[in-house]
Amino acid sequence: MLSMPLTMKKASLYMVDVDAQAAAMALARLAVMHPLEAGDDDQALDAYPAAPYYAVYHDLDARFGKISGFVRSPFEATVDSTVLVTLDQLRDLDGQLKKLWARVSALEERIREQNERISAVRLLANSLQKFTSLDLDLGRLRRQGRFLRIAVGSLPSENFYQLKRALSLAHFMIKTFYTSEGIEHVVVFGPSQQRDVVQDLLNSADFRGLTIPEEFSGSPVELQADLNRQTGQAENRIREAEQELSSLIDDHRQTLQSAHDLLLQARPYASLATVLRGKGGLVFLQGWVPAGRVDEIRQQLEQYLNFAFHLEFSDPERQEFDSVPSLLQQSRLLKPFQGLVKTFGIPGYREVDPSGLFALSYVIMFGMMFGDIGHGAVIACASLILWRRYPGATIVGVLAGSSSTVFGFVYGSLFGYEHVVPALWMSPMNDPVQVLLLAVLWGAGFILVANLLAIRNFIAAGRIHEAVHSGKGVAGLLLYLAAFYAAYQVAVHGRFSWLEGLMIVLPLGMIVNFQWRQSSAGLAERILVVFIEGLEHVISNVSGTLSFLRVAAFSLNHIALAAAVFAIAGMLDSFGHGVTVVLGNVFIILLEGAIVAIQCLRLEYYEGFSRFFSGKGKAFEPLRFES
Amino acid sequence: MSGFSSLYLDTRLTILAGRLISFERLIEFISLDLEPLLSQVRQITGYHYDLDASDSNRIEIQLTNRALDDFLVLIRPFSGSERRFFNFAVRWFELVNLKVLIRGKFNGIESSRIQEQLIDLRGFADLPVRKLLETDDPYEMLRLLETTAYGGIVRHARRMYEEHGNDLFLLDATIDRGFFIDLHYHARFLLEEDMENIGRVLGGLLDRLNLLWLLRYRFSYGLSAAKSFYLLTKTGNRLHSADLMRLARTDSIEEAVAALPEPYRHLLANVSVISDMETVMEYYSLSIAARALHRQPNLLTRTFSYFLLREAEVRFLQALIKGKLLGFDTDLISRAVGALA
Repeated sequence: MLSMPLTMKKASLYMVDVDAQAAAMALARLAVMHPLEAGDDDQALDAYPAAPYYAVYHDLDARFGKISGFVRSPFEATVDSTVLVTLDQLRDLDGQLKKLWARVSALEERIREQNERISAVRLLANSLQKFTSLDLDLGRLRRQGRFLRIAVGSLPSENFYQLKRALSLAHFMIKTFYTSEGIEHVVVFGPSQQRDVVQDLLNSADFRGLTIPEEFSGSPVELQADLNRQTGQAENRIREAEQELSSLIDDHRQTLQSAHDLLLQARPYASLATVLRGKGGLVFLQGWVPAGRVDEIRQQLEQYLNFAFHLEFSDPERQEFDSVPSLLQQSRLLKPFQGLVKTFGIPGYREVDPSGLFALSYVIMFGMMFGDIGHGAVIACASLILWRRYPGATIVGVLAGSSSTVFGFVYGSLFGYEHVVPALWMSPMNDPVQVLLLAVLWGAGFILVANLLAIRNFIAAGRIHEAVHSGKGVAGLLLYLAAFYAAYQVAVHGRFSWLEGLMIVLPLGMIVNFQWRQSSAGLAERILVVFIEGLEHVISNVSGTLSFLRVAAFSLNHIALAAAVFAIAGMLDSFGHGVTVVLGNVFIILLEGAIVAIQCLRLEYYEGFSRFFSGKGKAFEPLRFES
Repeated sequence: MSGFSSLYLDTRLTILAGRLISFERLIEFISLDLEPLLSQVRQITGYHYDLDASDSNRIEIQLTNRALDDFLVLIRPFSGSERRFFNFAVRWFELVNLKVLIRGKFNGIESSRIQEQLIDLRGFADLPVRKLLETDDPYEMLRLLETTAYGGIVRHARRMYEEHGNDLFLLDATIDRGFFIDLHYHARFLLEEDMENIGRVLGGLLDRLNLLWLLRYRFSYGLSAAKSFYLLTKTGNRLHSADLMRLARTDSIEEAVAALPEPYRHLLANVSVISDMETVMEYYSLSIAARALHRQPNLLTRTFSYFLLREAEVRFLQALIKGKLLGFDTDLISRAVGALA
C-alpha cells in the first residue's frame, strides 16, 4: 500500500582516465547510476575530461537530428555496448554529416524559394482574375510608354498606406482595384524616369508585379496560362529537389545508420561532461545507485575496466537527502497511478510514495460517487478496448469501472434504474443525510491518514520539531481530533464543556507557539502572521473535511441525473423512450464520469497530497544508452 | 484594475522609480574607475544589484535579469489588452537576442560565443534559442526563424539583407521597425485615455527613431527619398507623415534640420553629426518618459515610461562597464555609450 523510494548509496569511483569511457558504458548497461555533480570541495580535480567529447557529440547529435527529419523509415537500434567510440570517430562522422547537411539545407532553401514563388504567382493569378472584369487591354501593360510606367500586382494591405505616401514622393500613384484577405490588388503608375527608384521601393513593400510575356496578344486567358506554366515549373522544381533530397538521404543511409549507432554508444560518456572531473590522468565519478545493486556494479566494473580502480559506497547524509534521486518501486498495476502522482510531484527520497494509497482511495471514491452496475461495467469494458495503445488508461478505467459496479450493487442501481436490482445497503436517495454524514467521516479519515503521513515524512527528514509542533504535525493532528470530538459533542449532546475547549486550545497553542518561534519578522508583523496562519490552519481543516461532501453530492447527483433522463423519456412514445434512455445513459457516462474522475483527482491532490507530500523529489535518471 | 492593485502598483512604481539612476549621475560614472562605479550603482539602487567586477558577463546578465524581474512584478497586476501590450513590450529584449543571433550567424561567429551574448529571458522567451544556435548557416537559421512569432519581421529583414548586403544598421533598423509597428498595433487596443497618455511617451520614442533612420537612409546610405520614407515606422508626437515626407525631400542634413518642426529644430540647431543627434534625441525622448513617470497619474503610462528609462539605464551601464573592463579611456567610453552621455 505504502512504499518508499529504493534505498540509495553514494558511489564514488576513482579510476584512470583511459578507463572512464568503459566505466560509463558499463554503468549505462546496468542503468543503475544517477550521476552526481561534484561539489566545490573537489577543487583539486579541476578538469572535465568528457567535455571535449560532449562538444563533438552534441554537434553530431544536432546534425543527425536535423537530417533524420527527412528519413522515412526508422533506424534499427544495433548498439554494441562493449565497443568504445573514440573522439576521432565522432569528429570524422560529424564532418561527413556536416557536408551532408549543407547539401540538404541547400535543397531545403531551393524548395523554400520555389514555394515562395508559387505563392507569389497565385497572388498574381488572383489579381488577374479581378482584372479581367475591367475593360482594359492588358497588352498595353507590356508596351511601357516613353513617359508612363504602369505596373499591376499585389501587396500586403498593411504596407499600402505607407507605400502610397512614399510613391507620391516619386510622383507615382497607386490605386486599389480589389482587396481580399489582407492583400491589395493594385495598379501603380507614374513617370518613366523614376522607374528604378519605384521598382526598388515596390520590392521593399513586398509588391508582386504581374509580368506580361512577350508573345502576349492581349487576352487574359493567355496570361493565366503563362501563370499556370510558372506554377507548374516551380512545382516541378520542388519535385526535383524533393527527389534529389530523397536520393541523397537514401545514398547516405549507411552513414546515417552509423551515426545513429555511434551516438547511442557515445551517449553515456558524453553525458558525463559536467560530472566527470579529473587531473593528471586520474578521474573521479560520483553518483547515486540503488543499495541492492552495489555488488553487481562492482562486478561489472571489474569485468570491463582495464586498470585498477577504487570504488566505495556510502549512505547519504541527512543534509544530502534533498539531492538524492527517488527511484520508485515498480508495479505494473500501480504504474498509471504513479504517473498521476508524478504530475503533482516526485516523492522526496525519504518521503512515502503515495501511489498505492492514492490508487486505492481514488478507485473507492470513484465508485462511491458514480455507483452504478451498468455504467461501471460499460466503463470497464470500454477501457479494455484501449489496452494496446493506452495500457495505463485501461488499468485505471477497469479498476474505476469495477469499483463503480461494486458500489452499484451496494446502492442497487442499474443504468439509473433504482428498483431492478436489490440494494445491498440502500440507494443514496433513501437517506441523503446519512450519506452526507458518511462522506464527512470518509473525509475525516482521509485527512487523518494524510496528517499521519506528514508526521512520518517530517520524522524521516529529521524535522522532529515540525513533526511535533507544527500544524501538519502531532499538534495539528490533535487539534483536528479535538475539533472533531467537540463538533460531535455539540451535534449529538448539545454541549461544549471546558474539556473540549482545553482539548482545542492546547494543540492550537502549540501551533501558535511554533509559528511564533519560526517567524523572524517585527512584533506587529509577527502577531499578524501568526494570527492569520493559525486561523488559516483551522479553516483549511474545516473546509478540507467539508470538501468531501462532494463524494455524497455526486452519488446523489448521479441518481438525480438518471431521474431527469427517465422523466424526459416518460414524456415520449416507446421508441422515443428507448432512444432517450440510451442516449441519456451515454451522456451520464461521458459527462458525469469525466467530472467525477476530475473531482476525485482534485480531492487527492488538494486534500491529500498537499498535506503530506512535498513533491520536490528528483527523478532517478541513470546513465543509459537510449535517451 | 482593482483599487488594491492600483495602490500596489503605484507603490511599486514609486519604489522602483526612486532606484533609477539620474542622467546626471550616469554621466558622472563615465569618469569613475570600475570598483567605485559599481559601489555607487549598488548604493544608489539600494543594493538592488549585487555587482561583482570579477565577472563581466555576469554583470551584464544580472543587469538585464534584474530589470526583467522588476518588469514582471510591474506587469503582473495588468490584465487583458494592457497585459498583452506589456508582454509584447518586454519582447524588446528578445529582439536584442534575435539581432545577436542573426548578426552572429551572418558573421560566422561560433555558437558558443553567440550564446554568451544572449540574454536569458526565462518565461518571456519565445525563440527556440537552442535550435537556432545549432543551425549551420544563416539561411537555415532564417528558415527556422520564419516559423516563429517573429516570422514577419524576419522575412522583411531577410529581404533588406539580400537587397543591401551585410549591413548591420539596416538589419537592426528593419527589425526595430517591425517591432514598433507591432507595438503601436497593440497600443490600439488600450482604452482611449490610456492610449492617448501612453501615445505621448511612445510618440517621443517614435519621433527619435524616425528622424534618425530617415537621416541615415538619406544621407549615409543615399537611398531615394521615397524609399527612405517608406522604411520608417509609425509616426510619433511631432513628426507626422507630412513632416517626414518634407524631410525626405531635403538634400542635406543642415537642410533637414532647418525643416524640422519645433522643438526638434531648436534642439538640433547646432548639431551636424547623426550620432550626436542620436544622443540629443534619446535624451529628449527619455526626458518625456521621466516626466511621465514622476508626474503622470496614469499607471499604464508610468509603467511604460519606467520600462523605457530602465532599459536605457541597463544599456548605458552595460556599455560603460564593458568599456571599463576592456580598459577604454574616458573619451572612447563617452562615445561608445553615446546616448545620454
